[in-house]
Amino acid sequence: MGGILSRILTYIFVIIIYLFIYAIIRMIFLDIRAMNRKKSGSLAEAYLKLINLRRDLDFNMDESYELEDDEIIGRGNKCTLRLPDKYLSVRHCRIYKSDGSYFIEDLGSTNGTYLNGDELTDEAVELMDGDKISIGRLNFIFVMPKTEG
Amino acid sequence: MTSETSNIKPLIYIILLNLLGAALISIQYGGVNLEAVILTGAFCVVSIVSYVVVYVAELGDPYLFLIISVLGSVGCIMQTRIKPEYGIRQLKWFLLGTACYFVIMLGYRFLSRWLTKLLPLYLGLSLALFIATQVFGKTSHGAKNWIYVGGVSVQPSEVIRILFVLGLAVIFTAPMPEKLESKVKIKPRLLRLVTASAVTVVSAAFLLLQREWGITLLFFATYFFFLYVYGASRLYLALNGLAAAAVAVIGATKVSHIKVRVDTWLDPFADASGKGYQITQSLFAIGEGGMAGRGIGAGSVYFIPEVHSDFIFSAICEEMGVVGGLAILMLYFVLVYRGFKIALSCTNAYNKAVAFGISFILGLQTFIIIGGVIKLIPLTGITLPFVSYGGSSMLTTFAACGILQAISGMKEELTDEIQ
Repeated sequence: MGGILSRILTYIFVIIIYLFIYAIIRMIFLDIRAMNRKKSGSLAEAYLKLINLRRDLDFNMDESYELEDDEIIGRGNKCTLRLPDKYLSVRHCRIYKSDGSYFIEDLGSTNGTYLNGDELTDEAVELMDGDKISIGRLNFIFVMPKTEG
Repeated sequence: MTSETSNIKPLIYIILLNLLGAALISIQYGGVNLEAVILTGAFCVVSIVSYVVVYVAELGDPYLFLIISVLGSVGCIMQTRIKPEYGIRQLKWFLLGTACYFVIMLGYRFLSRWLTKLLPLYLGLSLALFIATQVFGKTSHGAKNWIYVGGVSVQPSEVIRILFVLGLAVIFTAPMPEKLESKVKIKPRLLRLVTASAVTVVSAAFLLLQREWGITLLFFATYFFFLYVYGASRLYLALNGLAAAAVAVIGATKVSHIKVRVDTWLDPFADASGKGYQITQSLFAIGEGGMAGRGIGAGSVYFIPEVHSDFIFSAICEEMGVVGGLAILMLYFVLVYRGFKIALSCTNAYNKAVAFGISFILGLQTFIIIGGVIKLIPLTGITLPFVSYGGSSMLTTFAACGILQAISGMKEELTDEIQ
């Protein structure tokens, strides 16, 4: 009887190892997706440019981050743009595109989202080229190169 | 906190894995097994604490230690299954190794500025260890590779392999001292190649004297890999390859115990009860396990010689099946992948070289021993990292991974960009 029981438990044992590998690979995949979305810039309609000096930060950041049509920015791993600043909330703010313009809204973050020095309230605000966005210790310039039209 | 929960999943799997292991061992020994319970508790605590420390203190790659924990858990469970004392001793080594991991990590971080200037230390220490092995060495299983220090047996070649990587990384990446450059009229590139070759030849000579063919292969392949990565010419690579092939052929035809290894690899069943005993028992065990295995504790692993060290993978295959063996291989794959990832994303040339070397050695060592026990390549005595029984292997592999962890956590140095 012991033979069958240990056999079944061993199957579960092996399945758990595979589940572990799956969980690790999924986390790595999310990491890489977060890392790959830097510069290249050619295709992006808009991007965030970091204006902090990178050597002043005690964590790694890229020079710029491309924006897709809907981005959740924060520290948590369900965000579409993960940034490692400790002063960010898990879900900090959202930048999304609507009718050809970009809007920013705060997602109830602890330390707030600042647009050109003013703290955002509940409602979304339209972003203009050259706006300064501050979240946590990070300062970005919103860049939207003029599309020819 | 909801979006953070998926980070905890791997930890939950580690805990489940250890609980199941304890249950399986208790079934095997017909009653609650004290060793297994200690093991489970220890592994749960160590993996949770280490993960939290790495995560909170932002020490870099959070996955490395998780993967090591799973490999270590499987290793300890198998050791306890073979003999409860082994399990406990292996656990002690694992805990010591964990301490070693974090100490080496902090040490590497603080000393990173000076590490490139320590080439004489690496080479001197390696030489001293080689000579010590020659003088005080004890012979076991055809290789003179152990020394006894205060009742504990140590395998110096395990330490030397890390020094070797650190040394090669200096040779290939450190800027030439100006004094030397003006004095010796020789191109820096050539000087690098010659130094690296000289270091490798000396190491290989000592290792061959100790009859450590597996580790010689490990050293040579690492050196060859460095040559390739740092752009040695095709001609130089070919010459080195030919030299190595010549040594291998001489070894396989002239040195008796290597000849035996090659013969039993080509046809183990010619002398299945004598010279081919190890490899045939290993193959029988793997075959007996089949696809899904006989269940942990239900196999007959005691037929395999050296089952707790070199042949642990055969025991894993017998009891967890080919599917389980593949799972272990995938764990090594992910571990080595993380190592290369760390090397690729690191900007400091020296650290990049070290991370490359360490990841390569980890991967190759796994290949050499697993390839050996499944009769893919001739069998050589090398340990399976984190799973095989053995203190010096455990500690040095932990030290190597500690260096990887340190490199992954170091702040990007922007000096390269400014230049």
